[in-house]
Amino acid sequence: MRHGNRLAAIVLAGPAILLYGGFLVLPALLGFGYSFTNWNGWGKSPQFTGLANFKELFSDDLFYSSLRFTLTETVLTFLTFTFGAMVLAVLLDRVKLMKGLIRSLFFYPYVLSLLVGGLLFQWLSNYRDGAVNTVLRGIGLPTWAKEWMGPNWATWLLLAFVTWSALGFFTTLYLANLQTIPEDMYEASELEGAGPVSVFRHIQFPMLVPTITTNSVMSLIFGINLFGQIIVLWDKPRVDTYTVAYYIYRVGIEGNRQGYATAISLVVFIALAAIAILQVRLLRTRQVQQ
Amino acid sequence: MRRSKWQIPYEFALLVLGLAFVSPIVLIVLNSFKSLKEITAAPLGLPSHLAVTNYSDLFSKVDLGVPMLKSFGMTAITILCLVTFAPMAAYAMNRLGMAGARFWRNFFLIGLIVPFQIVMIPLLKEFRFLGIHYTYLSLLLVYVSGGLPLAIFIYSGFLSTVPKELDEAAVIDGCGPIATFWRIVFPLLKPCTVTIVIFWGLWVWNDFLSAFIFMGGTRGDLAFLRLFTLLQDKYVKDWGTIFAGVVVLSAPVTVLYLTMQRHLVKGLTAGAMK
Repeated sequence: MRHGNRLAAIVLAGPAILLYGGFLVLPALLGFGYSFTNWNGWGKSPQFTGLANFKELFSDDLFYSSLRFTLTETVLTFLTFTFGAMVLAVLLDRVKLMKGLIRSLFFYPYVLSLLVGGLLFQWLSNYRDGAVNTVLRGIGLPTWAKEWMGPNWATWLLLAFVTWSALGFFTTLYLANLQTIPEDMYEASELEGAGPVSVFRHIQFPMLVPTITTNSVMSLIFGINLFGQIIVLWDKPRVDTYTVAYYIYRVGIEGNRQGYATAISLVVFIALAAIAILQVRLLRTRQVQQ
Repeated sequence: MRRSKWQIPYEFALLVLGLAFVSPIVLIVLNSFKSLKEITAAPLGLPSHLAVTNYSDLFSKVDLGVPMLKSFGMTAITILCLVTFAPMAAYAMNRLGMAGARFWRNFFLIGLIVPFQIVMIPLLKEFRFLGIHYTYLSLLLVYVSGGLPLAIFIYSGFLSTVPKELDEAAVIDGCGPIATFWRIVFPLLKPCTVTIVIFWGLWVWNDFLSAFIFMGGTRGDLAFLRLFTLLQDKYVKDWGTIFAGVVVLSAPVTVLYLTMQRHLVKGLTAGAMK
């Protein structure tokens, strides 16, 4: 019986293991290996260069500026999706009559393609005839019409775009967590005359710790890996709007320096894994204390 | 929660906020019915007349019909692969006492963290080596292999809600392990399968980046790639047609969303609760 099971297990798991192993694990391992070479991504055979790529990375100014930009918008993304989404969820949770409709409105943008969103924001933020500036000029606030795609506002435009497209997702996770709070906790607090802020502080927030953990880790990973959003928003991104992920793409595909690109990816991957593990550990202990 | 007299104004305030949130989309729909001149002149007004030419152009000039079918096919096949291979693997690793099950489970978990950049180019090289680079098959492999870790994770979670006694009962009835899986366990995984269908239906159809990278830019004949070619017009972008394209390509996803809303949310939350 047991042997039959073992064989069956191999047969059942086989396709998944082969596909995933062959087309995700294998390239990933190869990728890591390439970071120690000077591979250009196609033609020429790579030569082993040891830690040369990593040394170069250490003094790469463009990498550092992309890192700074990435860190800035990651922090903003983190705050928005961990705390902003929580606030929105708490507000939406109190809606009883138009619950389905209102929640759908906030979730809908998540369902659209990134290309559609990028297009939309390109059209909205155009300085001359974009919708936002047209409205501002129309209602008599021409000085408020800014160069949204330009260097001063790029970070905020990106944040707006990212928030618009993904806020619904993170908010829904919080809403689901809020559903698990038993009614009697609310009733008890009502008897004591607690207002909504108090209810939030003492009942909702503590119960939301699991989702806070999840969302904080996810939003951090999301922020650091920001790549597609940059491409669809700016057809040819300016150097000051490079995120690390986009820089890797530039170096690798357009710059033909795959060895160097994968070296950067490796560093990012290690950093990410470390942050994620740290975060989960920190928040898990807090959870246990609850 | 007791209803206070502020409940209705409160909900209306949030309703207005919600409508503002989706207003860009409404604008796009409105503008898809305008001619290009009208869009630049009055981006926020109602169309003076319904310029349906934007839509007919999509199928005559831009020829969006065929790429749409191809995207649909790509999505369908990806989903089919995922809803067979993933639950099979989840069952094998969690219930059949597979040799080294723990190792294999962790093996798949790593796939959830690996960033896309690392595998992007080596994968392209691998496809070139196999002679399938820039083909639909290669993109399909990317979607399925990339989706397996998460799909297996979701199925594994759901599998734990299926009682083991059913497996044992089937064995007593003389069912082999594979038959047990397909006849008894898999049907019980239906809610999970629905979730997977919805999520990947959404993701694969909407995907632009992976298609762009693995089909060699706009050489690939898929829906969103075709739309992207419209955006590359250096001089004057034909916004009217572009908006019409956006509406048409977003329609299936919107319909899916409106009908399957509850499932989407249920699926998301089930995964998050792990």
